[in-house]
Amino acid sequence: MDGLDGRPSAQVLDLGPVCQENIRFLARRVKRVYVCDMFIRLDRCLGKGDSVDRIWHELDYPPESFDGILIWELADRLEDGGVRSLVDRCHALLKPGGMAVVLVLGEQVARLGANSFVLGQNFGVRLRPQPHLNLPIRGRQNRDILAMMTPLKPAKSFICRLGFMEFLFTRD
Amino acid sequence: MKEQHSNLMKKSILNFFKKGVPMLKKDKKVDMDNKPSIIKDPVEGRTIIGEKIAIDGAIRGREDLFIEGSVKGRIEVEAHHLTVGTRGQVEAEIQAANVTISGRLVGNINATGRVKITKEADFNGEIKSKSISVEDGAYLKAVIELTRKPDQKPVPVVKPEEKPASEPVKESFTMAGKSSKGN
Repeated sequence: MDGLDGRPSAQVLDLGPVCQENIRFLARRVKRVYVCDMFIRLDRCLGKGDSVDRIWHELDYPPESFDGILIWELADRLEDGGVRSLVDRCHALLKPGGMAVVLVLGEQVARLGANSFVLGQNFGVRLRPQPHLNLPIRGRQNRDILAMMTPLKPAKSFICRLGFMEFLFTRD
Repeated sequence: MKEQHSNLMKKSILNFFKKGVPMLKKDKKVDMDNKPSIIKDPVEGRTIIGEKIAIDGAIRGREDLFIEGSVKGRIEVEAHHLTVGTRGQVEAEIQAANVTISGRLVGNINATGRVKITKEADFNGEIKSKSISVEDGAYLKAVIELTRKPDQKPVPVVKPEEKPASEPVKESFTMAGKSSKGN
């Protein structure tokens, strides 16, 4: 988020779950906000029994389009192959030096079901249940997530409440 | 009764074309059975394009428009409210004061007021408006640009202080706070 400071032309992509507070939060800081709800796409895809590969064509933005991508905890909703596709796509879409935000919720919170991550004042994030989403959770450990995000490089990590972990990854 | 119904339908269509002035091109496709599908809603004061209507062309009007049918082209109701109902299928460039989307819409919206996207919506396109509301569950792929007052600058980013981690699950946590640790 620091990267948005004084850069209204920065391009940010939110992978969902879509939430109006985040749209407003980002739209006050940058000129154009990109939203592509991959959670709901994944949910519909799994519901129909389709291959998850079908959802990646939604991320059809030109290469190196974004200064930031909010992945949230999408990676932990995917099988290993899906995570690789997600990371490859995000790596291609990030500008050099761009950042990706990844959350690892921990077992306790993950069991509660799918949530949106509502950005509030001073970057406070609260969870809002999304009962319409029926997505599996893999419950990966932090180190597993870190390893799977290659070729994105870990830049920072933050310990948040109740076992939440926030990781910032960057593209060289 | 049937004749009365038919007359009402003719009158409604006539009203729509008089007031709404849809510029139907030669490739228009209108598919109607016995039910009126383009009617002036007497209660709401708006025109409804029913689900059995398909319009391929441009619509320009001076009253609120409610679409439950299929529209492809351009829609201009500049000072009014456009609603795409849950059964509506629209592929269009849209100019309106306010827009509510509950159906399927592919295209770009330029609204001087508010855009509301309900949970039933499936939207793909660009939105330029003064404000926006999106219900959880909406199927959204969008580029959103909220218009600012000419002298309004983007909100600066201020780093927050991190608070102790002792709140229940629904309480917020703080991203990128000072007590964070770098790798």
